[in-house]
Amino acid sequence: MSFFGFLASVLPVDLFAGLATTGKYLFARKATIQYPEERKEPADRFRGMFGYSLERCNVCRGCEKACPIHIIHIESHWEEYEVEGKKRKKQVIDRYDIDVKRCMFCNLCAEACPTEAIWLTTKTYEAACYERNQALYFDKDKLMRWEGVKPFPGVKAPAEGGLPYFRLGGEEEEEG
Amino acid sequence: MPVLEAVLAGSEEMEVSFGPQHPATHGVLRLVLKVDGERIVDAKPIIGYLHRGTEKLFERETYPQCIPHTDRMDYTAAATNNQGFVGAVEKLMGITIPPRAAYIRMILAELQRIASHIIWLATHALDIGAVTPFFYTFEEREKILDLFEEYCGARLTLNTMRIGGVPWDLPEGWTDRCRKFVEELPRKIEDWERLLTNNRIWKARTVGVGVIDAEKAIAWGLTGPPLRGSGVQWDIRKVFPYDRYDEVEFDIPVGTHGDTYDRYLVRMEEMRQSVRIIRQCLDKLPDGPVMAWVPKVIRPPKGEVYFSVEGPKGELGYYIVSDGGVTPYRVRVRPPCFVNLQALPELVKGHLVADVVAVIGTLDIVLGEIDR
Amino acid sequence: MNELLWTYLALPLAKILVILLALVLLAAYMSWFERKLLAYMQIRLGPNRVGPKGWLQPIADALKLFVKEDLTPSFGEKLVFLLGPCLIIVPALVVFSVIPFGPSPHLFITDVNIGVLFILAVSSIGVYGIILGGWASNNKFSLMGGLRSAAQLISYEVPMGFAVVTVLLLAKSLSLVRIVEAQKQAGVWFVLPAFVAFVIYFICGVAETNRNPFDLPEAESELVAGYHTEYSGMKFAFYFLAEYANMVVVSCMATVMFFGGWLRPFPNVAALAFLDAIPPLVWFLLKVAGFLFLYIWFRGTFPRYRFDQLMGLGWKVLLPVSLVNLLVVAAFVAAGGQA
Repeated sequence: MSFFGFLASVLPVDLFAGLATTGKYLFARKATIQYPEERKEPADRFRGMFGYSLERCNVCRGCEKACPIHIIHIESHWEEYEVEGKKRKKQVIDRYDIDVKRCMFCNLCAEACPTEAIWLTTKTYEAACYERNQALYFDKDKLMRWEGVKPFPGVKAPAEGGLPYFRLGGEEEEEG
Repeated sequence: MPVLEAVLAGSEEMEVSFGPQHPATHGVLRLVLKVDGERIVDAKPIIGYLHRGTEKLFERETYPQCIPHTDRMDYTAAATNNQGFVGAVEKLMGITIPPRAAYIRMILAELQRIASHIIWLATHALDIGAVTPFFYTFEEREKILDLFEEYCGARLTLNTMRIGGVPWDLPEGWTDRCRKFVEELPRKIEDWERLLTNNRIWKARTVGVGVIDAEKAIAWGLTGPPLRGSGVQWDIRKVFPYDRYDEVEFDIPVGTHGDTYDRYLVRMEEMRQSVRIIRQCLDKLPDGPVMAWVPKVIRPPKGEVYFSVEGPKGELGYYIVSDGGVTPYRVRVRPPCFVNLQALPELVKGHLVADVVAVIGTLDIVLGEIDR
Repeated sequence: MNELLWTYLALPLAKILVILLALVLLAAYMSWFERKLLAYMQIRLGPNRVGPKGWLQPIADALKLFVKEDLTPSFGEKLVFLLGPCLIIVPALVVFSVIPFGPSPHLFITDVNIGVLFILAVSSIGVYGIILGGWASNNKFSLMGGLRSAAQLISYEVPMGFAVVTVLLLAKSLSLVRIVEAQKQAGVWFVLPAFVAFVIYFICGVAETNRNPFDLPEAESELVAGYHTEYSGMKFAFYFLAEYANMVVVSCMATVMFFGGWLRPFPNVAALAFLDAIPPLVWFLLKVAGFLFLYIWFRGTFPRYRFDQLMGLGWKVLLPVSLVNLLVVAAFVAAGGQA
């Protein structure tokens, strides 16, 4: 072993290097974000709580079919209406339920929707509750009003006009 | 007191259960160790505590619906799980993905490799007693997860690849942020190395622990860093290239002695090579569409296919049998951790109980993948 | 008569109360110091919710441990189970009766003329607390952890003893106050002539208190949490406090023996006389704080040794080095070369 090798094994240079690294980080800027006083803003495409728009939904049931866990339950009936003397039929939603407690937020439903009636890019994730079964089963009213869900500061619930932060069409416009 | 006598007698073989709930087993792994005094005579891993029936679930889900479920197998490396599955279906259907999609997939997979190796380093060091690398490495992992979040919306269960390409193009500024991250990462890796690589205590704990030579490693079917740590140059990205890995230059680090220290060095170097790959991909990123034309309903022709990717833990393979319907007939996943774990009894024989944690850490097992 | 009562009963009692209280609080606040410092080294903030900057965290922890359910294993040996924590905390606190915090006769409780021997002997009783605690838990892993910890403590006392003897050679007395005064006479802290002894003493001190990198017997990644697995509530608090109190003991001893106790650097050099503005007690506390900082710095940086490597280090490396060091220093002192 060379002389320097011997010295290096007796004087713990490697240990001092480790101590120096830890000592350097002692004075570095700390990475803690003090929740709930500070919050990190999620990205635009962040998949959070659902947003739903009754007007845009045309009951194609694409979301129901696309969901891997089958948590979207849709029931509808046909109604007749008249426009310019012609009789037309349209579907009216009776029930649009999402069992959010089972959701894995995979976004397949939003990708399947042709009219952006359901979306996950709402930057909202604070839907914690004390009782899971009732509180996390959302029917269409609760879904639009975001009952029991705390929106991220600055985000509006769908009933108040909240829109997706990421349009799946391709352009990203920040709205809502 | 019978316990005291047994302990003082020393030469009696005791069976010790390293139970399913233990801070060091990286998940719900149960190890039954037969110890003679302090030396381990045999070790039997008992798994199944995290079995969720994923492969059976695949038989009921359509192909696009299977992809979120693949995220949850090796939950520390979701992108490579996705890559394996969609690559297998694309191979079955004969779809070629556009070049931009291939490059984006490579960037995501390499970022995921770095993230997974960060978890490995953090927990391995923590088990051996060094508590601080955990925090330093996880700060960098936060940045990677932020990049993932900006791209696909999720941080851990990404669901980021689709059959035919990737679902969306990169957001604005993503390549700059990614480039900034990979430029800073090598310096941080040096910091972590300064805490561990030459540290005499680290070396005392890892050199000569869990040794396996190249022949035995191949015989046991090890892949990934455990195989490369023993000196075998085998990486699916080089041997059976997929997703345009043949268009980027990178090296495959190999070890010499096949012990824990060599596997540690191999993984650290793999992180640097991933940085190299990401840099090249960012430089060479072509324009174009990110999704090939695929039918609206994915119905692969009848047949079977085996496709594997080099995940951070080893060779992750998917064997899909299709009967022509919208759901697979059978999907069998070749989990690298499962096969690597089989070599655990071989690796710990003759060592002390304290080395078991080092060996579990060096195999880098994730029970989600072992149990599925 | 009144003066006798005052000098020999009331004053010592008052000093004992003050020091005990201060010590228990110090041991408790060591936990705060450690959590905060370790956190800052790990780029995070430590406890900062309970009270400003987390100052009330140790109080919250103490309250929690008070009200926690005190479980005793239901199989035999309840007395020994109770005895374990007592045997570990009492020696750690009793040792402070001879440690001098300052020059005047009011800044220490007493100055026994075999102070160093007293400290070594009393702190060895603490090993019983570990062995009995591990044994009385009726849990084969606790027993193994306890035995290992005891073996570690006993092995590292030998090189520590030799390092201390080196200082005794230089100071020519076993009394702690005399050791500090010898450093004042020599004009330099003993760390300079006895540097190797200091290094050995501190490493052994870290091993004696079961701290990283020698904390395998109580590491979580071992089979269990060691000898104190079965303890809860105040009994666990005693083990916890005893570990910190032992750390403070080792730091105080190192300060007194190697760093001049309450003396300022180079106490006889007139040019540094402005440093006398800092009172001696503050110097003492600063040095002890420095050692505690070193303890925590070690914890944040190093991995831990495996048990056989730990014992190997103690017997095969530290013991020969301390012996050779002792011989060398003895040769110097015999040749008349004072420090």
